[in-house]
Amino acid sequence: MSTNTKYSEQELVSQLVQQNDQAFSYLYDNYSPALFGVISQIISNREAAADVLQDVFVNIWKKINLYDAAKGRLFTWMLNIARNAAIDKLRSRSYQDSQKNQPLTENVNTITANSVVNPQQNDIGLKKQVGKLKEEYRILIDLSYFQGFTHEEIAKILNLPLGTVKTRIRSALTQLRTMI
Amino acid sequence: MNIQEYISSGIIESYVLGLASPEERVEFDKMCELYPELREARTNFERSIEKQAFQNSISPPAGSKDRIWSAIQQSTVESTKVITMEPRQGRSTGLRWFAAAAVALLLLASYFAYTLYTKNRALQARIEHNDSLINKMTEGEKIMHNPNVMVVNMVGLKGSSSSANVYWDSTSTDVYMVVKNMPKLPSDKQYQLWALIGSKPVNLGLFDLPESNVVLKMKNTQEADAFAITIENRGNSGGPDLGQLQSMGKAKL
Repeated sequence: MSTNTKYSEQELVSQLVQQNDQAFSYLYDNYSPALFGVISQIISNREAAADVLQDVFVNIWKKINLYDAAKGRLFTWMLNIARNAAIDKLRSRSYQDSQKNQPLTENVNTITANSVVNPQQNDIGLKKQVGKLKEEYRILIDLSYFQGFTHEEIAKILNLPLGTVKTRIRSALTQLRTMI
Repeated sequence: MNIQEYISSGIIESYVLGLASPEERVEFDKMCELYPELREARTNFERSIEKQAFQNSISPPAGSKDRIWSAIQQSTVESTKVITMEPRQGRSTGLRWFAAAAVALLLLASYFAYTLYTKNRALQARIEHNDSLINKMTEGEKIMHNPNVMVVNMVGLKGSSSSANVYWDSTSTDVYMVVKNMPKLPSDKQYQLWALIGSKPVNLGLFDLPESNVVLKMKNTQEADAFAITIENRGNSGGPDLGQLQSMGKAKL
């Protein structure tokens, strides 16, 4: 299955809503590498990341009629589906069991010791940029964006007031924008 | 906060990256409708995130596309299957009964809620009505105990049993009336109170029989030798029909 048709974002959406096979093919060919990259920033295991990618496309296919162009671009919508699916995977028992030699994300001390403080060599994209932030910002973006913790959870993990967490995340994000 | 401050507050990044709270998202959507510059800033950030993601693309494992496509078709088949199979399953019958019971319960609850609501409304109306009666009566009580108020006992004339009391406050010139016993009138007729100054009648107001012993506030008069009540056509604007004089009382001792 392949396609030579070129769609505008709007056409693609309306073709997907009509469950057009060609539209799926185009969607996959054009967006799967970018989405797989996003997923890989959260799920380092390639096989598990591929499972997440499948969930993401099944979800996009099923939920395309919920996409509202007034609220953002198609890619942003898909990016958020991908991030949420990856975080669900990250937190699933099956994934955590399969990563036994990795620290559990539930364990506060090991999170800070492992993924956060030492940016890994294979960090790419947004994660690489986040690695350039100063540490107090980096840890917040890592916990909230890449690990999906709520502001309340982060406040508990880092033993910071909720207000501080909120304002620091905002500042970290504005700084991140200047780097992208 | 002006719109520029809002734009640079980090909300755009939170929103686009999915870190904003539901409340923040609702507010942001509203603001985007209002401020094109906010929408533009959002789109710019979206494009840069998109560009970033594309620059960091990773090819998924070979065969992913076919695997995903069959998963999609599988999921479509599954949902079709569910639709056709569901009615035959025992559990689903149970579910149907449960749903029916829930609907019945809901209807019943709505009915009770509605009945209670109606009763409550009726009670509320009665309470308001009684309150206003009590207010009027206490007002009457005050008037009757005011030392400046003169009580004029109106007695029935010419075999009429009509009786009423007129309360006349000589300092404020206020005139009040309490009907004690007066016959009901046809709907095109009204009672009218007059002050007689010398022999000249002065209109103090038309009135209908009040529903209970409340105090009627009539027109003020500075002078009165006597008070009289007549029966007049509804809305009478002429002089008194003295042939219909019902009761009279002297104001001067």
